[in-house]
Amino acid sequence: MILTQQLILGLLVGGLYGLAAAGLSLTFGVLRVLNVAHGELLMLGGYGAFWLFTGWRIDPFVSLLGIGPALFVVGLLLYWTLFQFVVKAHEEVRIKNSLLIGFGLTLVLHNLAIRLWTADERAVTTAYAGAVLRIGTLAIPLVRLTSLVLAFAILTALHLFLTRARWGRGIRATAEDWEAAALMGIPVGRTYLLAFALGTALAGIAGGLVSVSYSISPSIGLEWTLKSLIVVVLAGLGSLFGCFAGGLLLGLAEAMSVVFLGGPYREVVGLVLFLVILVVRPQGLFGGRG
Amino acid sequence: MKSLLGGIVLAVGFAALPFFSARNDLLNLCVQIFLAIALAQSWNLLGGYAGQINLGHAAFFGLGALATRMLWVGGIPLYLALSAGAAVATAFGVLIGGPAFRLRGAYFAIGTLALAEILRITVGNLMPEISTIPASDLASYSILPRYYLTLAIAVICVVVVAALVPSRVGLGIRAVREDEAAAEASGVGAFRHKLLALAVSTALAGLTGGAYAHYHVSYYPQHAFSPAWTFDAVLISFIGGVGTIHGPVLGAFFYVILKEVLAVKLVELHLLVFGVLFILVVLFLPGGLVEAWNRARRLLTAKDA
Amino acid sequence: MLEVENVEVSYGALPALHGVSLIVRPGEIVALVGPNGAGKSTLLKAIAGLMAVRKGAIRWESKRLDTQPPERIVECGVALVPEGRRLFGRMTVRENLELGAFTRRAQKERRHQMDRVYAIFPRLREREQQLAGSLSGGEQQMLALGRALMGLPQLLLLDEPSLGLAPRVVESIFSILTELHGDGMSLLIVEQSVHAVLALAQRAYILEGGKIVGEGEGQSLLKDDHVRAAYLGPLARGGAA
Repeated sequence: MILTQQLILGLLVGGLYGLAAAGLSLTFGVLRVLNVAHGELLMLGGYGAFWLFTGWRIDPFVSLLGIGPALFVVGLLLYWTLFQFVVKAHEEVRIKNSLLIGFGLTLVLHNLAIRLWTADERAVTTAYAGAVLRIGTLAIPLVRLTSLVLAFAILTALHLFLTRARWGRGIRATAEDWEAAALMGIPVGRTYLLAFALGTALAGIAGGLVSVSYSISPSIGLEWTLKSLIVVVLAGLGSLFGCFAGGLLLGLAEAMSVVFLGGPYREVVGLVLFLVILVVRPQGLFGGRG
Repeated sequence: MKSLLGGIVLAVGFAALPFFSARNDLLNLCVQIFLAIALAQSWNLLGGYAGQINLGHAAFFGLGALATRMLWVGGIPLYLALSAGAAVATAFGVLIGGPAFRLRGAYFAIGTLALAEILRITVGNLMPEISTIPASDLASYSILPRYYLTLAIAVICVVVVAALVPSRVGLGIRAVREDEAAAEASGVGAFRHKLLALAVSTALAGLTGGAYAHYHVSYYPQHAFSPAWTFDAVLISFIGGVGTIHGPVLGAFFYVILKEVLAVKLVELHLLVFGVLFILVVLFLPGGLVEAWNRARRLLTAKDA
Repeated sequence: MLEVENVEVSYGALPALHGVSLIVRPGEIVALVGPNGAGKSTLLKAIAGLMAVRKGAIRWESKRLDTQPPERIVECGVALVPEGRRLFGRMTVRENLELGAFTRRAQKERRHQMDRVYAIFPRLREREQQLAGSLSGGEQQMLALGRALMGLPQLLLLDEPSLGLAPRVVESIFSILTELHGDGMSLLIVEQSVHAVLALAQRAYILEGGKIVGEGEGQSLLKDDHVRAAYLGPLARGGAA
């Protein structure tokens, strides 16, 4: 059945939407900073996986072990050079400034990528790229399935970190009330740094998975930033698994629009959903805060 | 007063330019500059003065272009087509203004971006073919009327914003930027003023889009809805000096000329350079070129004293 | 010993504290009273590092506090229980307590200290897994206090601990504070409920309009006409203590 096949594909991509969105949710939720260059960071991760595979034949799933930390460092640098100045202001100004800085960053990263790697589309095609799991008439690409499972596993690990580890709890406390957190002896600046770097690492890992499951090019940045934003708004802040569910929902919605409205309107449905949620229920489906 | 004089001199100077030089590339460059001034100034009213960062500005530019193009190519007189373009853009702006302004800060920005993207994709799907001026008009295509049209529109944009800002309405608009809650509380009627700023901003954007549609021989309709137009408007406004009258003008000259210079040596690098400049401006020099100019002047006059 | 020396604090361009000086000796309970808007909360925030000190100095055990970030100040042994509790409502009682012991120094004693806090506040142990936001006012204050204790403070700053609490609850909170004092804790308490705190405190300062306008022994201030007229109201003027 066409519909079921499309829905399955929608779920598979939805998991990556959720992973990417979780990174944005982390930075936005903790720092109240809206980094609209999030998609560009995902794109960087994707290129990392691509070049590691093309240059050194490192399996893309294995290269995630390197991409995660690498993008973590990128996040550290970005916070250190740019976003730490943004968090000094209070919330309204913070969001506005981070929007602007993120915008500038988007231009820089996007055009840097075009210069360095051309605008061509790239994909990581491994030996097992064509492997498919067949259930009846349905064909489930194994690579995408693995990506979905990995995405879920990473989010679970992150969840454990945020609930069990000292710094993870510190992040949650800072997200809720940074002054009270400071009074506990939690170093707010370093917590922000950690949260931002983690969010960036998540984007990078998602990007790596995108490069092997789909394809990448310098222009996927804006697309994935919008997708992440849609899921964050859909799910609401404060819930990682909410992000995952939100991502799946978006994937399903897109799949249905492909079946009923045709391919060209795939992107539109997510954007319309986004606007509707913003106006009707801004705190999202699962979120605690608006 | 000095600015008014300077503005008049500048406008007259540009009006006279074609009498001194018939070089097409120079005139085309000027058209680019005029369009940039108009685009940025229209954004500046809402983004700089009212403090509402509108990332969907391209939607109004595109709507103006679309309406004007369709009507004008269809035989309607240009001035009517241009007015219609502005009207369509304004209507759309006012329509979304209500629900859009319920979104605070970042959500307004992203909401408008989403809206613009929806329009772009839809237009791209409904009208995928390139739009070309009919052969008859192509033969008689001349840069001169377009030069004067875009110059006029640039002047209109600057004059409208310059007149609006110091007025009572303008004061209300600026109050919204400073502190929206306070403006609301003091009876300024934040929503009304935001809506007015949006209406004027979109009208001017639509007008600019119409000029663009008239200027280009052929283009893809969805291209006029590309976020690149919004980005240009934002970049120019900020680098020039957001929230000032001179800012978008200065920024437009700087942007278009630097773009030409960079295009010769390093293709496509201009956006990278402007991205970096933009970040630097936001972090360290929020007043942009205007602020830099004022500081330099003060430094020089202090030395003389 | 806490030394606040000629401290000036402003909210942007608005000055809030003008040359405030006070001391809290080791093991003392000192009260800070005054009308609303006098700057009492501001002073506590300044000591805790949440507000920048423009002029003057703040020292604890001879260490400068006003140049340090809040997390260092907690490490030095000074903890603030802020006005309105500021609990992490979406985290459990236990998680709130664990967060109180975030500093390295407190981490070592975490288990032990949590047992002690539960011993002082048995109600908290009962509600261990409950979300902090769902506790009653009195329980929230207990949690806020317990959370601050997890940081192993030697000086406890309290901003309006009795706010919004029933008299009986206030009584039990204050008796716990007395107990802590008995164990050697120094306390600086800002209070609206002047009567209760002046009975508890050994010394008190009166802060008005960002300046210290009076100082004295707790009990004697209760009898001070100035204080009684301004803060204790018409009932107190009748002569009853």
